[in-house]
Amino acid sequence: MTAETSLIPDEAKAMIGSETGRASGTVVKKEFQRWAAAVKDRNPLYFDAEFARAHGYRDVVMPPMYLSYVTLGVADLDTLRPDGIPGGGGGDLPLPHTPRRMAGGENITFHEPVYDGDVITSVRVIEKIEQKHGRSGDFILVTSRTSYVNQDGVTVAEAMGSMIARP
Amino acid sequence: MADQTYFDDVSVGDAIPTLSVTVDPTQMFFFSAATYNGHRIHYDKTWATEVEGYPDILVHGPLQAALLARAVTDWVGPDGRLVSYAIQNRASAFPGEELRFVGTVTGKHEGDDGRGLVDLEIRGEKGEDQVLMPGTATVSLPRRG
Repeated sequence: MTAETSLIPDEAKAMIGSETGRASGTVVKKEFQRWAAAVKDRNPLYFDAEFARAHGYRDVVMPPMYLSYVTLGVADLDTLRPDGIPGGGGGDLPLPHTPRRMAGGENITFHEPVYDGDVITSVRVIEKIEQKHGRSGDFILVTSRTSYVNQDGVTVAEAMGSMIARP
Repeated sequence: MADQTYFDDVSVGDAIPTLSVTVDPTQMFFFSAATYNGHRIHYDKTWATEVEGYPDILVHGPLQAALLARAVTDWVGPDGRLVSYAIQNRASAFPGEELRFVGTVTGKHEGDDGRGLVDLEIRGEKGEDQVLMPGTATVSLPRRG
């Protein structure tokens, strides 16, 4: 790989190892229940407080896979990219040569249950930005680590995630 | 869903019940709304096909991931817990396709508090065993008695 063909601008490389996103949000029962309903996941632990208490929780519990949405912000529709993804803020990386975005993978460890009213803070650090060669050409693989901490300072989950950016 | 799986009853090689789902655009819309996702590849067919070159709008990777997690959490029952979960997005899925979410027990070991930990190989797939989303999960299960 020569410098001329790099799809990763220096300003993106400079963000490796740094905190690129910190956000907080309050868990709202109705929001995670809407998410569960969209997944058609009617697990009574998410909907029935009495059932949840009978199984050791203090209230309906948030579906673990909802966690990353708790800290989402408010989009400015006038600054969205043409494909509808938020263009600024939120820790987005400057990768102008690879505008197409796809989720790569994720690896999450859940430590503690999360409940309605909890305040979650997520802190994202970029671990790696790599140029890869795939069947349909070169792409960028961005790997980040996100910690989720609740209002008591307890880390409720930690996630490694990757994002694929294609030309 | 109310059924409980116990560590004692699980063996390496066991398959968890397969979750089969055919996602339609309405469910995709609700998932976009519930996740505050404005990405046009999930609802704008003209954008998805003419600009991005896909054959149709794409089922969200996170929806597939959520369905795969649901297959696991349905299996573990209300006293089971998802401890860790790892997946990779490998291929695209489209509305109208039957998606299958499967899992196999690959390991058992001691957990905290007298519970047991079970490792799973999990997978979202479609068609003739085309892998959409390979992954692994670890769950904590209660013991009998």
